Amino acid sequence: MASRALAHCMRSVARASARLNHGNMLTRSACAPLASNQRALSAVSRGQRTRWTDLVRISGPSLHLCRRYGDLPPLTLENIQDRVMYVLKLYDKINPEKLQTSSHFMKDLGLDSLDQVEIIMAMEDEFGFEIPDAEAEKLMTPKEIVQYIADKKDVYE
Amino acid sequence: MAVSRLPAAALSLKQFLQRQKVLGVYRDLLRNIRKIPQESDRRYLRDWAREEFKRNKSETDQDVVRMMVTQAQNHLEDLRKSLALAGC
Repeated sequence: MASRALAHCMRSVARASARLNHGNMLTRSACAPLASNQRALSAVSRGQRTRWTDLVRISGPSLHLCRRYGDLPPLTLENIQDRVMYVLKLYDKINPEKLQTSSHFMKDLGLDSLDQVEIIMAMEDEFGFEIPDAEAEKLMTPKEIVQYIADKKDVYE
Repeated sequence: MAVSRLPAAALSLKQFLQRQKVLGVYRDLLRNIRKIPQESDRRYLRDWAREEFKRNKSETDQDVVRMMVTQAQNHLEDLRKSLALAGC
Protein backbone atom coordinates (compact mmCIF):
# COMPACT_ATOMS: atom_id res chain seq x y z
CA MET A 1 0.00 0.00 0.00
CA ALA A 2 2.71 2.43 1.04
CA SER A 3 4.81 1.65 -2.02
CA ARG A 4 1.86 2.28 -4.29
CA ALA A 5 1.33 5.69 -2.71
CA LEU A 6 5.04 6.47 -3.13
CA ALA A 7 4.98 5.47 -6.78
CA HIS A 8 1.98 7.67 -7.34
CA CYS A 9 3.75 10.62 -5.77
CA MET A 10 6.81 10.07 -7.89
CA ARG A 11 4.81 9.86 -11.05
CA SER A 12 2.98 13.08 -10.36
CA VAL A 13 6.27 14.80 -9.52
CA ALA A 14 7.79 13.55 -12.75
CA ARG A 15 4.80 14.67 -14.74
CA ALA A 16 4.67 18.11 -13.21
CA SER A 17 8.36 18.74 -13.57
CA ALA A 18 8.45 17.53 -17.16
CA ARG A 19 5.59 19.82 -17.93
CA LEU A 20 7.48 22.74 -16.49
CA ASN A 21 10.28 21.77 -18.81
CA HIS A 22 13.10 21.86 -16.31
CA GLY A 23 12.38 18.29 -15.43
CA ASN A 24 15.64 16.39 -15.45
CA MET A 25 17.37 17.70 -12.35
CA LEU A 26 14.29 17.89 -10.22
CA THR A 27 12.99 14.38 -10.87
CA ARG A 28 16.39 12.83 -10.56
CA SER A 29 16.87 14.39 -7.16
CA ALA A 30 13.38 13.28 -6.18
CA CYS A 31 14.06 9.75 -7.37
CA ALA A 32 17.55 9.42 -5.95
CA PRO A 33 16.72 8.53 -2.32
CA LEU A 34 14.09 6.06 -3.45
CA ALA A 35 16.15 4.44 -6.16
CA SER A 36 18.08 2.26 -3.72
CA ASN A 37 15.14 0.31 -2.37
CA GLN A 38 12.65 0.65 -5.20
CA ARG A 39 14.55 0.33 -8.41
CA ALA A 40 11.67 -1.01 -10.41
CA LEU A 41 9.39 1.85 -9.53
CA SER A 42 11.92 4.54 -10.26
CA ALA A 43 12.61 2.91 -13.62
CA VAL A 44 8.89 3.13 -14.37
CA SER A 45 8.80 6.76 -13.42
CA ARG A 46 11.89 7.52 -15.44
CA GLY A 47 10.33 5.86 -18.48
CA GLN A 48 7.30 7.99 -17.98
CA ARG A 49 9.37 11.09 -17.61
CA THR A 50 11.11 10.60 -20.93
CA ARG A 51 7.82 9.98 -22.58
CA TRP A 52 6.49 13.23 -21.18
CA THR A 53 9.46 15.25 -22.28
CA ASP A 54 9.21 13.68 -25.71
CA LEU A 55 5.60 14.70 -25.87
CA VAL A 56 6.47 18.23 -24.91
CA ARG A 57 9.17 18.34 -27.50
CA ILE A 58 6.94 17.00 -30.25
CA SER A 59 3.95 19.11 -29.46
CA GLY A 60 6.01 22.30 -29.49
CA PRO A 61 6.30 22.93 -33.22
CA SER A 62 2.94 21.36 -34.11
CA LEU A 63 1.18 23.64 -31.66
CA HIS A 64 2.94 26.53 -33.26
CA LEU A 65 1.67 25.48 -36.67
CA CYS A 66 -1.88 25.26 -35.42
CA ARG A 67 -1.93 28.87 -34.39
CA ARG A 68 -2.77 30.82 -37.47
CA TYR A 69 -4.60 33.70 -35.77
CA GLY A 70 -6.44 35.71 -38.43
CA ASP A 71 -4.22 34.42 -41.16
CA LEU A 72 -6.09 33.97 -44.42
CA PRO A 73 -4.71 32.89 -47.76
CA PRO A 74 -2.90 35.87 -49.25
CA LEU A 75 -4.99 38.22 -51.33
CA THR A 76 -4.06 38.70 -54.94
CA LEU A 77 -5.76 40.77 -57.59
CA GLU A 78 -7.24 37.69 -59.28
CA ASN A 79 -8.33 36.34 -55.95
CA ILE A 80 -10.14 39.59 -55.09
CA GLN A 81 -11.70 39.74 -58.51
CA ASP A 82 -13.01 36.20 -58.26
CA ARG A 83 -14.59 36.92 -54.90
CA VAL A 84 -16.13 40.19 -56.09
CA MET A 85 -17.60 38.52 -59.17
CA TYR A 86 -18.86 35.64 -57.07
CA VAL A 87 -20.71 38.00 -54.72
CA LEU A 88 -22.17 39.90 -57.68
CA LYS A 89 -23.37 36.72 -59.34
CA LEU A 90 -25.20 35.75 -56.19
CA TYR A 91 -26.99 39.10 -56.07
CA ASP A 92 -30.52 38.45 -57.26
CA LYS A 93 -30.98 41.49 -59.46
CA ILE A 94 -27.92 40.99 -61.59
CA ASN A 95 -28.10 38.79 -64.62
CA PRO A 96 -24.91 36.70 -64.38
CA GLU A 97 -24.64 36.41 -68.15
CA LYS A 98 -24.51 40.16 -68.68
CA LEU A 99 -21.97 40.71 -65.95
CA GLN A 100 -18.51 41.84 -67.06
CA THR A 101 -15.73 43.26 -64.95
CA SER A 102 -16.15 46.58 -66.73
CA SER A 103 -19.94 46.79 -66.72
CA HIS A 104 -21.44 49.83 -65.05
CA PHE A 105 -24.00 48.95 -62.41
CA MET A 106 -26.51 51.58 -63.47
CA LYS A 107 -25.87 52.04 -67.17
CA ASP A 108 -25.18 48.44 -68.18
CA LEU A 109 -26.90 46.34 -65.55
CA GLY A 110 -29.93 48.54 -64.97
CA LEU A 111 -29.55 48.82 -61.20
CA ASP A 112 -30.41 51.87 -59.13
CA SER A 113 -28.53 53.64 -56.36
CA LEU A 114 -30.25 51.54 -53.69
CA ASP A 115 -28.98 48.37 -55.31
CA GLN A 116 -25.53 49.88 -55.48
CA VAL A 117 -25.65 50.52 -51.73
CA GLU A 118 -26.61 46.90 -51.19
CA ILE A 119 -23.78 45.69 -53.38
CA ILE A 120 -21.27 47.71 -51.40
CA MET A 121 -22.70 46.31 -48.17
CA ALA A 122 -22.31 42.80 -49.55
CA MET A 123 -18.68 43.58 -50.36
CA GLU A 124 -18.15 44.81 -46.81
CA ASP A 125 -19.55 41.50 -45.59
CA GLU A 126 -17.35 39.49 -47.91
CA PHE A 127 -14.09 41.27 -47.18
CA GLY A 128 -14.75 42.15 -43.58
CA PHE A 129 -14.10 45.86 -43.49
CA GLU A 130 -16.20 48.98 -43.71
CA ILE A 131 -16.21 51.18 -46.79
CA PRO A 132 -16.90 54.84 -45.96
CA ASP A 133 -19.97 56.40 -47.60
CA ALA A 134 -18.10 58.96 -49.65
CA GLU A 135 -15.99 56.31 -51.36
CA ALA A 136 -18.79 53.77 -51.59
CA GLU A 137 -20.72 56.07 -53.92
CA LYS A 138 -17.94 56.19 -56.44
CA LEU A 139 -17.63 52.45 -56.88
CA MET A 140 -19.71 51.78 -59.94
CA THR A 141 -18.07 48.87 -61.70
CA PRO A 142 -16.67 45.55 -60.45
CA LYS A 143 -13.28 46.68 -61.64
CA GLU A 144 -13.37 49.77 -59.43
CA ILE A 145 -14.39 47.69 -56.45
CA VAL A 146 -11.48 45.30 -57.02
CA GLN A 147 -9.09 48.23 -57.33
CA TYR A 148 -10.43 49.88 -54.19
CA ILE A 149 -10.15 46.71 -52.12
CA ALA A 150 -6.66 46.02 -53.44
CA ASP A 151 -5.61 49.55 -52.45
CA LYS A 152 -7.08 49.18 -48.97
CA LYS A 153 -5.50 45.80 -48.37
CA ASP A 154 -2.13 46.77 -49.81
CA VAL A 155 -2.25 44.33 -52.69
CA TYR A 156 -0.18 45.23 -55.72
CA GLU A 157 0.82 43.38 -58.86
CA MET B 1 -26.85 84.78 -72.47
CA ALA B 2 -25.77 82.34 -69.86
CA VAL B 3 -26.73 78.81 -70.77
CA SER B 4 -26.56 76.23 -68.02
CA ARG B 5 -24.14 73.46 -68.79
CA LEU B 6 -25.99 71.05 -66.64
CA PRO B 7 -28.10 68.45 -68.40
CA ALA B 8 -31.83 68.87 -67.95
CA ALA B 9 -32.11 65.80 -65.77
CA ALA B 10 -29.52 66.99 -63.25
CA LEU B 11 -30.64 67.28 -59.66
CA SER B 12 -30.81 70.59 -57.90
CA LEU B 13 -28.61 71.00 -54.85
CA LYS B 14 -31.51 70.37 -52.50
CA GLN B 15 -32.50 67.23 -54.32
CA PHE B 16 -28.94 66.06 -54.37
CA LEU B 17 -28.58 66.52 -50.62
CA GLN B 18 -31.85 64.76 -50.04
CA ARG B 19 -30.71 61.87 -52.20
CA GLN B 20 -27.56 61.55 -50.09
CA LYS B 21 -29.68 61.56 -46.99
CA VAL B 22 -31.95 58.80 -48.28
CA LEU B 23 -29.01 56.64 -49.27
CA GLY B 24 -27.37 57.30 -45.91
CA VAL B 25 -30.47 56.22 -44.00
CA TYR B 26 -30.75 53.14 -46.17
CA ARG B 27 -27.14 52.22 -45.50
CA ASP B 28 -27.49 52.78 -41.76
CA LEU B 29 -30.63 50.73 -41.68
CA LEU B 30 -28.99 47.84 -43.52
CA ARG B 31 -25.94 48.02 -41.26
CA ASN B 32 -28.09 47.75 -38.18
CA ILE B 33 -30.22 45.00 -39.63
CA ARG B 34 -27.04 43.05 -40.22
CA LYS B 35 -26.46 42.93 -36.46
CA ILE B 36 -29.68 41.02 -35.80
CA PRO B 37 -28.65 37.60 -34.51
CA GLN B 38 -31.47 35.47 -35.88
CA GLU B 39 -31.23 34.57 -39.53
CA SER B 40 -34.96 34.59 -40.31
CA ASP B 41 -35.59 37.93 -38.59
CA ARG B 42 -32.62 39.44 -40.35
CA ARG B 43 -33.84 38.34 -43.75
CA TYR B 44 -37.37 39.50 -43.03
CA LEU B 45 -36.30 42.98 -41.98
CA ARG B 46 -33.85 43.32 -44.84
CA ASP B 47 -36.54 42.46 -47.35
CA TRP B 48 -38.91 44.83 -45.63
CA ALA B 49 -36.44 47.71 -45.82
CA ARG B 50 -35.62 46.95 -49.43
CA GLU B 51 -39.25 46.85 -50.45
CA GLU B 52 -40.16 50.05 -48.66
CA PHE B 53 -37.35 51.95 -50.30
CA LYS B 54 -37.99 50.46 -53.72
CA ARG B 55 -41.68 51.14 -53.53
CA ASN B 56 -41.15 54.82 -52.95
CA LYS B 57 -38.10 55.40 -55.06
CA SER B 58 -39.94 57.35 -57.75
CA GLU B 59 -41.36 59.87 -55.31
CA THR B 60 -40.35 63.38 -56.36
CA ASP B 61 -42.20 65.60 -53.92
CA GLN B 62 -39.56 66.89 -51.56
CA ASP B 63 -41.87 67.21 -48.57
CA VAL B 64 -43.09 63.67 -48.95
CA VAL B 65 -39.53 62.43 -49.25
CA ARG B 66 -38.54 64.34 -46.16
CA MET B 67 -41.40 62.84 -44.24
CA MET B 68 -40.43 59.35 -45.31
CA VAL B 69 -36.81 59.94 -44.36
CA THR B 70 -37.96 60.98 -40.90
CA GLN B 71 -40.06 57.87 -40.67
CA ALA B 72 -37.09 55.73 -41.68
CA GLN B 73 -34.98 57.45 -39.04
CA ASN B 74 -37.59 56.65 -36.41
CA HIS B 75 -37.55 53.01 -37.43
CA LEU B 76 -33.77 53.04 -37.34
CA GLU B 77 -33.80 54.49 -33.85
CA ASP B 78 -36.27 51.83 -32.69
CA LEU B 79 -34.14 49.11 -34.19
CA ARG B 80 -31.03 50.50 -32.54
CA LYS B 81 -32.72 50.59 -29.16
CA SER B 82 -33.99 47.04 -29.45
CA LEU B 83 -30.58 45.83 -30.52
CA ALA B 84 -28.95 47.61 -27.59
CA LEU B 85 -31.45 46.07 -25.20
CA ALA B 86 -30.87 42.64 -26.67
CA GLY B 87 -27.16 43.21 -26.17
CA CYS B 88 -26.04 42.83 -29.76
